[in-house]
Amino acid sequence: MTAQAIIQSLASGLLMGLLYGLIAVGLALIFGLMDVVNFAHGEFLMIAMYASFFLFAFFAIDPLLSAPLVAAALFVFGAVVYLLIVRFAMRAKANAGMVQIFSTFGLAIVMRGLAQFFFTPDYRSIPQSWLGGKTISVAGIFLPEPQLIGALVSILAFAGLYFFIHRTDFGRALEATREDPGAVALVGIDKNRVFALGWGLGAALVGLAGAIMAVFFYIYPDVGASFALIAYVTVALGGFGSVFGAFAGGIIVGLVEAVTALVLPPSLKSVGIYAVYLLVVFIRPRGLFGSM
Amino acid sequence: MTISRRDVLLGATATAALVPLAARAQTSEVVIGVIYPFSGGSAQQGVDAQKAYETALEVINKDTDFDLPLAKGEGLPGLGGAKVRLVFADHQADPQKGRAEAERLITQEKVAAIIGTYQSAVAVTVSQICERYQIPFVSADNSSPSLHRRGLKYYFRAAPHDEMYSAAMFDFFDAMKKKGTKIETLSLFHEDTIFGTDSGNAQAKIAGERGYKIVTDIKYRANSPSLSAEVQQLKTANADVLMPSSYTTDGILLVKTMAELGYKPNAIVAQDAGFSEKALYDAVGDKLEGVISRGTFSLDLAQKRPMVGKINAMFKARSGKDFNDLTSRQFMGLIILADAISRAKSTDGEKIRDALAATDIPGEQTIMPWKRVKFDEAGQNNDADPVLLQYVGGKFVTIFPPQAAIAEAIWPMK
Repeated sequence: MTAQAIIQSLASGLLMGLLYGLIAVGLALIFGLMDVVNFAHGEFLMIAMYASFFLFAFFAIDPLLSAPLVAAALFVFGAVVYLLIVRFAMRAKANAGMVQIFSTFGLAIVMRGLAQFFFTPDYRSIPQSWLGGKTISVAGIFLPEPQLIGALVSILAFAGLYFFIHRTDFGRALEATREDPGAVALVGIDKNRVFALGWGLGAALVGLAGAIMAVFFYIYPDVGASFALIAYVTVALGGFGSVFGAFAGGIIVGLVEAVTALVLPPSLKSVGIYAVYLLVVFIRPRGLFGSM
Repeated sequence: MTISRRDVLLGATATAALVPLAARAQTSEVVIGVIYPFSGGSAQQGVDAQKAYETALEVINKDTDFDLPLAKGEGLPGLGGAKVRLVFADHQADPQKGRAEAERLITQEKVAAIIGTYQSAVAVTVSQICERYQIPFVSADNSSPSLHRRGLKYYFRAAPHDEMYSAAMFDFFDAMKKKGTKIETLSLFHEDTIFGTDSGNAQAKIAGERGYKIVTDIKYRANSPSLSAEVQQLKTANADVLMPSSYTTDGILLVKTMAELGYKPNAIVAQDAGFSEKALYDAVGDKLEGVISRGTFSLDLAQKRPMVGKINAMFKARSGKDFNDLTSRQFMGLIILADAISRAKSTDGEKIRDALAATDIPGEQTIMPWKRVKFDEAGQNNDADPVLLQYVGGKFVTIFPPQAAIAEAIWPMK
């Protein structure tokens, strides 16, 4: 094992980890806001990848340009999902937790089915884009441009989200609603509006991730499943409810995955992730940055 | 939920009592169960397989003039022209769902035989259920060698398995070495279900026997979100030949990651699966000029056997695709099975089994480059000669064995 191979693995792990973080942040945001786990999170990612793919296939819009469009579309989609489904699921008096789980889980299955029906199960990919297949090589370390841009977008998006939550009125309303949904109504904040905004933001973030990933990953109706599981572990590792934790968790997962694949047979690389996760839960059940 | 044998027996007795005798005595229709992934990650293979089976069904049920068993005349002559009907079931690439669907097809749909399954891992459970109910199972496109080595009486495979394919690859390497090409080191790269594992084991074994050095043997987790670490190791090893055994999704990711990490092997010799899929070449074909994959089918054969081209056209009209390695095997599998049912003159599982065991179809009466179709005691056809195909200028040409080849191999790949 050469030093170069180690650095390459760490670099690849970091780039992948930043993307994992971006995917997980949306999940953490929604959970932190209203204690609902979006089991259709992977399918949101899948829809974003298809959106990016079709914008490229039909209108020749490069995924780099279409990413904001896709994020905006996913924002609307997320808000609509809240208003049409989750809002009602949260009203359930009996078995509220189960109703929430099954409503988003059911949504995931429906989305997957619809994607297979309308888009066929064919594997798609974006063959030629501005970044696709391009790589920067620094001292023998290869940094694929799509992942580099993805990592950059992840950092910017996270910074933007952080700013939004801590520096804007809406962000403060979001935080307040998260602290005490009952009390905010007394000061005139519309809880439903804040929740819809939270869902929209969460979906927009995963939308951004999907749009960028469409350049270097294959696209098919089940693609979300591979990433959703990692996103759940990331959120739990970073700490439920902590947006920062989810982002940091993503980076940790990416690095751990890369290092594990270096020292163990690659088929065991997810073992490292879950071992670290178990260790964290053992020492700190709320997760690394969890506040509950 | 499990169905006990007693429930099944009770159910079967009850059904038998209800069905009017006349309806059972005269068979106007033979039902065959087809188990594939129609949803989930491999759904595309299921969708394509369905088109292949429907093409075979047209040849069987309608009057066509191909030199294939059952092509002439309508339906199954042995059963008074009874038509074949297919019932499709979705196993979602999950061996347990495959088991449940096989049980449902046998007990509820009353199928006379089952054919499937794309994933070898699913073929394991489906064939076990078939064995228990004494219903023949035709493994149309599964390539794991271990499948026919389980002592099953009702298991049949007309196509080659991965040891035969791998042997062909090494025959090819030997031939290339004689011509002066340097092939000493190999990198194996295989997914971690039964297909990849068996393929990797077969290749490692033959490499040892014939004196090739395996510099890295990577077993990776199927459907991983990233293959960077794996490709990094392949790149470090930098063997003369990279030998992947991957399904389509991983194949696409592998090729993309290789390009990203600047790894260009001298040659890729793939164990089919993903590397026979149009989707893979649509996605990353530009990076695969010169890739070699094993196969059991080649459209080149149409030059010698015109019916291959005609049947391919029938399939293409349905699916928009040419026959590939998988769909051709599926097509042939149903023809062979239906032929056995016709010769059995019965829909009884044991009689069909015996008819399958007695199958002897000359290679010219297939659409494959096989010597013939004849099963050994384990249900394996050892006369199914594999071919090696090279992807050149957007299509596959046969390069090995010499008697089937229409072009010389391009080596290194570019």
